[in-house]
Amino acid sequence: MTTLATRRQAAPGGSTPSRPARSGASSVGRPGFAWALPATIFFALFALVPLAAVAVLSFTSWSGLGDPEFVGLENWETLVSDPVMVKSLWLSLLFIVLGVVTQTPLSILLGVWAAGNQRNRAVLSAIYFIPLLLSSAAISVLWRALLDPNFGIPGQLSWLFGDGNLLGTQSGAIGVLIFVGMWQFTPFHTLIYQGAAKGIPNVLYQAASIDGAGMVRQFFSITLPQLRNTAITSIILMVVGGLTTFETVLILTNGGPGTDTTITAFYMYQEAFQSFDFGVGSAIALVLVVVATLISLVVVKVSGYDKMNSSLEGL
Amino acid sequence: MNNRTWMSRSLAGTAVMMLGLTLAGCGGGGGDASSRPENELHLAVYGDASNKVEQAMVDKFNETSDVKIVLDTIPGADYQTKLQTIIDTDSAPDIFFNWGGGSIANFVKADLLMPLDDFIEEDPQLKDAFLPSVFETAVIDDKSYGIPMRGTQPVMLFNNSEVLKQAGIDAPPATWDELLEAVEKLKAAGVTPIALGGADQWPTQMWFQYVFDRVAGEDLFQSALDGDTEVWDSEESREALGKLRELIDAGAFGTNFDSVKFTDGGSPTLLSSGRAGFELMGSWAYATHLDANPEFAENVLGYSEFPAIEGGEGDPDNLAGNTNNFYSVHKDTRYPEEAGEFLKLMYSDEFVQEQIAIGNLPTTTNTEEFLGEASNPEYAKYQFDLVKEAPHFQLSWDQAYPPEATVTIHTAVAQFFSGQIDEDGFIKAMQSL
Repeated sequence: MTTLATRRQAAPGGSTPSRPARSGASSVGRPGFAWALPATIFFALFALVPLAAVAVLSFTSWSGLGDPEFVGLENWETLVSDPVMVKSLWLSLLFIVLGVVTQTPLSILLGVWAAGNQRNRAVLSAIYFIPLLLSSAAISVLWRALLDPNFGIPGQLSWLFGDGNLLGTQSGAIGVLIFVGMWQFTPFHTLIYQGAAKGIPNVLYQAASIDGAGMVRQFFSITLPQLRNTAITSIILMVVGGLTTFETVLILTNGGPGTDTTITAFYMYQEAFQSFDFGVGSAIALVLVVVATLISLVVVKVSGYDKMNSSLEGL
Repeated sequence: MNNRTWMSRSLAGTAVMMLGLTLAGCGGGGGDASSRPENELHLAVYGDASNKVEQAMVDKFNETSDVKIVLDTIPGADYQTKLQTIIDTDSAPDIFFNWGGGSIANFVKADLLMPLDDFIEEDPQLKDAFLPSVFETAVIDDKSYGIPMRGTQPVMLFNNSEVLKQAGIDAPPATWDELLEAVEKLKAAGVTPIALGGADQWPTQMWFQYVFDRVAGEDLFQSALDGDTEVWDSEESREALGKLRELIDAGAFGTNFDSVKFTDGGSPTLLSSGRAGFELMGSWAYATHLDANPEFAENVLGYSEFPAIEGGEGDPDNLAGNTNNFYSVHKDTRYPEEAGEFLKLMYSDEFVQEQIAIGNLPTTTNTEEFLGEASNPEYAKYQFDLVKEAPHFQLSWDQAYPPEATVTIHTAVAQFFSGQIDEDGFIKAMQSL
């Protein structure tokens, strides 16, 4: 997502139009089709073509040996009646909701705090951002070792964790995955909120304190509304991130206990690359595309983000 | 930004994610011998510490041959995936490492492998020089498709002899009842009777392999593998499941085995630190302990065969585990003669000595002569005798079935142990294969 977004902005930017004001009236106007060509080719080659190929594969039976064999709707019929698939969609949804609910408040608070100019702020912020520098796989391996029931944290805190069977129960395993996701991604969202909070004009706060508003009131009446568009960006990133969570599940729980943390993205991997059923794997991938698109659309519609109202209007 | 761009952006994000899926979808078809490189044979092996020996064998072969073998090591965890992706393309290896059984069954069905029987007819040693129970693993429909090329890894019941002594257990259990008795004694002594890396799932499967073999004999699993799924619902199958349930309910594995792994050192440390009495594990457990805690491995670690089950149909000397790894030959290879020549190195004295030197236990008949050179000759001899005397050596279930069955089997055994499914649930899962 991030690279695509950067590229989309960079492509029309290019060299000259980055200073349109100076080049005068002669070059003002809509950029030609040629500007969009690199992005279009890139998008077609790496997004649309694979998407079409996956769509075709979803109607075939293929193990990687020989040629794909056309089987009509068989894979889709299998999926619809597959309890693991249905369960995985619910689990994915649960992961998204829990991820947003836990990460958003925390990263807003941390971000707003980090945007201030308290003592030691820079040092502490730097420490908070460390998880951002680690790869997901490294983080998962690290937490797997820390959570070993006999030789990890639960083994030392048996009054809190009982027998330490955190990854052996559904609620425990989901809790661990959500916690590790929070540990890993909160710094990233904190960074986004920090930037946005720094951009809030100071005059708003000055006016508010003249009117006698305290810190809490200022936070709810100025900071939060001003962070609205940032929050939507951040939440959409969390939704897409939640839908495609993979390494943490693979390393921490392997989809278990049983299939209790087999979310849709992990199930796709299992079917395609462990069971070598590329037909069913492709069908699951298509379901993911549709679900991700729908959720993004709903978030954009509901939040009014598509209208792109500026939060600084009237200032 | 309007709705349309948002839609395409979300599409792009998710589509990129699926790229891996489609890239794997390229290729297919396969070619004939002439499209392969001249004077080269490609040898694909599972990348790990054993590659040293494979390289030495390749070097030895290349000294005298005009056709040179190129060793391609593929990082371990991705091996089967990579193999399945390239085996039906022009970049397929001429000779490749595999686990026999289910790992090559699909390739045989797709007519991609060369039966080795002509080579064997020319040089009977290619078959006779190996232990029969091991060689059988790569025989499919009465044709031989693989030559053993590493070490055998039978599963044994390891124990911490000090813990057993403290709990008043004089000898490792020889029967199921003795095992249950030992479980009670260990519980009374305040330790987890049996360490189990349940989060890895395959260690759980080891219990099923042995109990099914001891109760029902090797034929039940073979019939299931041949397509008769009704056997999972047989009386013997239910009896085996009942035995396992009895052991689980007795608290033999403690309560948190689903959070413990073997692969990150969790369950072996339970055993070596004296917090568990037993662990059922492949013969590599010795090397694992030797690496982590040499003193324990040499003085305290004990091992025995899986206990007999009274009244069961299986021979108590039957084994389960990884019989060995194999080299198979692609049928489109440009130089079959040379490939056959290379395979003959797999029973040479030099090969056996090199394998033993790195701690592997080859399965050739001449291995016995060199066991004295092993780092722990007693352990090597014990294992070799087990394999030699075993009437049947059951390949691990997840390797006997083709790879697509692995997820189902692993999930079923884990769910049965954690109580998420009962006998009927397990039978249903296995019948779905």
